[in-house]
Amino acid sequence: MKGFLHFWRRFRRNRAALVALFVLLAITLIAIVGPYVYTVDPFEMMGRASTPPSKRFWLGTDVSGRDMLAGLIHGARVSLLIGIAASLCATLVGLIVGATAGYYGRAVDNILMRCTDFFLTIPSFVLAVVLIAIFRPSVTNVTIAIGIVSWPPVARLVRAEFIAQREREYVLAARALGMSDIEIMIRQILPNALPPVIVVSSLLVATAILTESGLSFLGLSDPNVISWGYMIGVGRTVLRLAWWMPAIPGIAILVTVLCINLVGEGLNDALNPRVQRR
Amino acid sequence: MLKSVNSIALAATILTLTAGTALAQSCSKTGGTLTYVYHPEPTALSTIATSAVPVAIISTKIYESLLSYEGAEMTPKPSLAESWTISDDKLTYTFKLRHDVKWHDGKPFTAEDVKFSVEKIIRPYHSRGKVYFGDVASIDTPDPYTVVFKLKDPVPFFMNVFQPGEAPIMPKHAFDGVDLSTAGAVRKADIMQKPIGTGPFRFKEWRKGSDIILERNSDYWRKGHPCLDQVVLRVLPDGAARAIAVETGEVDLAPMSGLPEAEILRLSKLPQLETSKAGAEALGPNMWLEVNMREKPLSDVKVRQAISLVLDREKIVDVIWYGQGTPATGPIVSANPVFYNKALKPFEYNPKKANALLDEAGYKRGADGVRFKMSQNFLPYGENWVRLAEYVRQELGKVGIVVETQSLDLGGWLKAIYTDWNFNITSTFSHNYSDPSIGVERTFTSSNIKKGATFTNSMGYKNARVDELFAKAAREMDPKARKAQFDEIQQILHNDLPVIFLVELSYTHVWNKRIHGLITNGISMYSSWDSVWKD
Amino acid sequence: MSATLWFVIRRTLQIVPVVLAIAALNFLLLHLAPGDAADIIAAQSGGASAEFTAELRRSFGLDLPLYQQFFVYIGRLLTFDLGFSNVQHRPVFDLIAERVPATLLLMVVSIGFALLIGVALGIVSAMRHRSWVDSIVSVIALLVYATPQFWLGLMLIVLFSIMFGTLPSGGMMTIATDMSVWGRAVDIGRHLILPSITLALFYVAVYARLMRASMLEVYTFDFVTTARAKGLSEARVGLVHAASNALLPVITLAGVQVGHLLGGSILIETVFGWPGLGRLVFDALLQRDLNLLLGILFISSIVVVLANLAVDLLYGFLDPRIVHQ
Repeated sequence: MKGFLHFWRRFRRNRAALVALFVLLAITLIAIVGPYVYTVDPFEMMGRASTPPSKRFWLGTDVSGRDMLAGLIHGARVSLLIGIAASLCATLVGLIVGATAGYYGRAVDNILMRCTDFFLTIPSFVLAVVLIAIFRPSVTNVTIAIGIVSWPPVARLVRAEFIAQREREYVLAARALGMSDIEIMIRQILPNALPPVIVVSSLLVATAILTESGLSFLGLSDPNVISWGYMIGVGRTVLRLAWWMPAIPGIAILVTVLCINLVGEGLNDALNPRVQRR
Repeated sequence: MLKSVNSIALAATILTLTAGTALAQSCSKTGGTLTYVYHPEPTALSTIATSAVPVAIISTKIYESLLSYEGAEMTPKPSLAESWTISDDKLTYTFKLRHDVKWHDGKPFTAEDVKFSVEKIIRPYHSRGKVYFGDVASIDTPDPYTVVFKLKDPVPFFMNVFQPGEAPIMPKHAFDGVDLSTAGAVRKADIMQKPIGTGPFRFKEWRKGSDIILERNSDYWRKGHPCLDQVVLRVLPDGAARAIAVETGEVDLAPMSGLPEAEILRLSKLPQLETSKAGAEALGPNMWLEVNMREKPLSDVKVRQAISLVLDREKIVDVIWYGQGTPATGPIVSANPVFYNKALKPFEYNPKKANALLDEAGYKRGADGVRFKMSQNFLPYGENWVRLAEYVRQELGKVGIVVETQSLDLGGWLKAIYTDWNFNITSTFSHNYSDPSIGVERTFTSSNIKKGATFTNSMGYKNARVDELFAKAAREMDPKARKAQFDEIQQILHNDLPVIFLVELSYTHVWNKRIHGLITNGISMYSSWDSVWKD
Repeated sequence: MSATLWFVIRRTLQIVPVVLAIAALNFLLLHLAPGDAADIIAAQSGGASAEFTAELRRSFGLDLPLYQQFFVYIGRLLTFDLGFSNVQHRPVFDLIAERVPATLLLMVVSIGFALLIGVALGIVSAMRHRSWVDSIVSVIALLVYATPQFWLGLMLIVLFSIMFGTLPSGGMMTIATDMSVWGRAVDIGRHLILPSITLALFYVAVYARLMRASMLEVYTFDFVTTARAKGLSEARVGLVHAASNALLPVITLAGVQVGHLLGGSILIETVFGWPGLGRLVFDALLQRDLNLLLGILFISSIVVVLANLAVDLLYGFLDPRIVHQ
């Protein structure tokens, strides 16, 4: 608790991050309870197609006459869910690979890092597109695909941290006490290596949301749920007649990603005090 | 159509004499370039390689067949053949060829080219070659300008198959040194990219990714034709950019629904442009939901009727296809001037009745309001099909059928539907083509329940009466009797609903009014355009 | 120098197994995709019989066992033969070669633009540390980071093509065919503006921030202090001494990001109808045009690996520790 207060005091100092945190909480709240409050079905053809924002439809209707506001609210769920889950997935893989490589070094390190290089050599977005086309788009598959293409940076970071820590005295002491490798990695080194990883994975949420929107825009999204990228893709066909249709979900993405990035910076300030903000 | 075949057979000699006058509409104006836009870019310049739309449009200006066709009912007219006779037993077709035809490389065109094209190229390697020429027992060439087709059994649609896109006559000499035993080698032949035909336009240049230029064939056998100097295809990947090009007059034509439907709707209101759905009757695209009938509950006709009752076809046309289409009533499109059964009633939209039918069929709503769950696929041909899937899911959900949509790309979809039969329902569309025995039969007869054959009877639909009628119609030489057979088939399928018929899609063409003479028959965009002229 | 040469040769040879391994993995990955080109061609022709499709499959060699197809593929690669696209009916190499100029033009212009503007903004922000310029650059960078590139492209189209009508919304050139060489160049230039800005803006932000941070770090080094002590003007210190040394990480990143740029170009090329490689990848994927797809991935992995190599080599020339020993 004391640790948290300390953290909070540091975090609070970054005003932009604080504001962003509240906006982000509001967006999350909308994503969770929004669909129960605003009960319009985003797939229901309610009114005339492609109408501009009006009293009945605050954000207008899409090409099928569906309520854009409902789409935006339901889309928040999908975007945040995929963003967070993909980031967790990437962080987990990155942690395992990076920690193993960094802790054991030598051949293990070499093999794992060559694998990492492989993933860095294929353009990540291309790889995501290929994976989803092969395994067909569903929320789970999109999440996994984004996770698969975004773990390498985490692995490299974790590896660097582990290399820096593995010869430290507390590690040597733990080893002398007969702790197993796994125990040392998880109990001893990980807590020390975690702060920068937390920052990176919070930023990964932002990247994942952007990637998801790009995939959906190309039509590679789960057809059972509505997502912001998909809404942009639908609006694109009538860009000339109704520019607001792709504009609105894009702004939603922009605001969400901006807030996540700002919060990430705030986290960085609070967690990694040794890195001075310039 | 058959009527005209018979009358022509009797009056073959008269026709020979009047051939000149029958096609006498000479050019009102000569010169000028017709530029049309389409996307995707053709992958070859021959329908042997693939008869995909972009390939068929451009290659039919370069290649010709024995016949040309007039009107939506596709009345055969002379082309490379100047006259023909059909034996009384309808088994021998004798075509007299023109003497004055030259290939674009200057070599003379003869009967050998026809025999070679049909036997070695079209029959084995055109995607419908076996349907057209499978019953041909022999092709004889008694002299260089006579071709005699002998059939094993009568083929009622035989006079329909000599379309430039379906049976293009190719120069035998261009295949010297090409291994004709495999599809791969034939498709790699030089002529697939650099065509040599007999048509009114010859290939000039292909700037990949940008345009294909065809120029006037000055040696064209039809004197004074073609009217145009050039036909140019511009490839523009972006739909909105294509629409603007048509709007500003930079291009003259966007054929075959080559623009996004929303843009067609917008352009149709402009004074300088003409918009028409006519000229594609011999293709007859028809869209439906294919139902896998191998399992309950979809094997129950009441359930299929209920699904049909829930879907508002007017709304699908207006909202999802931006008005570009007509509610379907059965397997044959209503624009078909010969075979459509006018007695068919429109499908009803009545969700209440659907609920009652489902109750009756024994699929009562559970405590959660759900009757049963199923999955659906959709044809991955773009955004409209996604929105159709969303609409279907939404409307079926309202009567308690929970639908999960699965998205597959074309490769995955084809495999799931036509090779694995691993689906519940899926949207798809199919062409009627110029005869129901060619385009409709393949979806509904039990002999077409074949794994690995695309756009066939994926439903597993078996109806002995339908099989029998199709079998008869495929050999029936009396037009009246044949029409009656197809009428009955349409009525049975309308009631049985092996597929949920939804919308007759339209191929809408948008062109600048300075272009004249485009719509001439049921496949106007796959015709030679030798009489098209520009102000 | 001979040591450098030896290093270059060794590093280049190391690339070969890496690229082959990538090619092998690509091959296996893509063969997991359901359906094949034979099905697609049959479908595009309006359906065909099972025999017709099987004949296509046989003549494309798609009916062979996977390991045989694999050896055929690797064997071809070793002779630098990318194979034949069965869907497009043309050699893969030709198809790729046609698209390379468009993609290269877009990439070079975008990266050049991004480096130029990004580095300039970074230098200004660093030299005017904590001034209003610095703040504005930071805010813009934050906004750009959060913007989906393809959406930015759409919005630029709305603004400059639809509302002002000044710039073309897509394609690489206008339809008119009667144009002088100069007129065509101007025409392509006009078409290039929106897509290259869209693609570049993200990298402008990246390079600006990196350049700024790197400059500020260099400012703490001894040689800068020395330069200042010598009485050199602040501008000279900043531009000549600090900036030239701070450039290193920026160039490193630019090299490493070549692959990233290629990925982004799928979306940008889709939005602007730009006839480049990115769009070709996507189309090839949807048409199960495996040879073409493998060809593009192979070439792109070579480009990425070579870019990384180039960065490594550049390091040798630009590393401040080497320069200021």
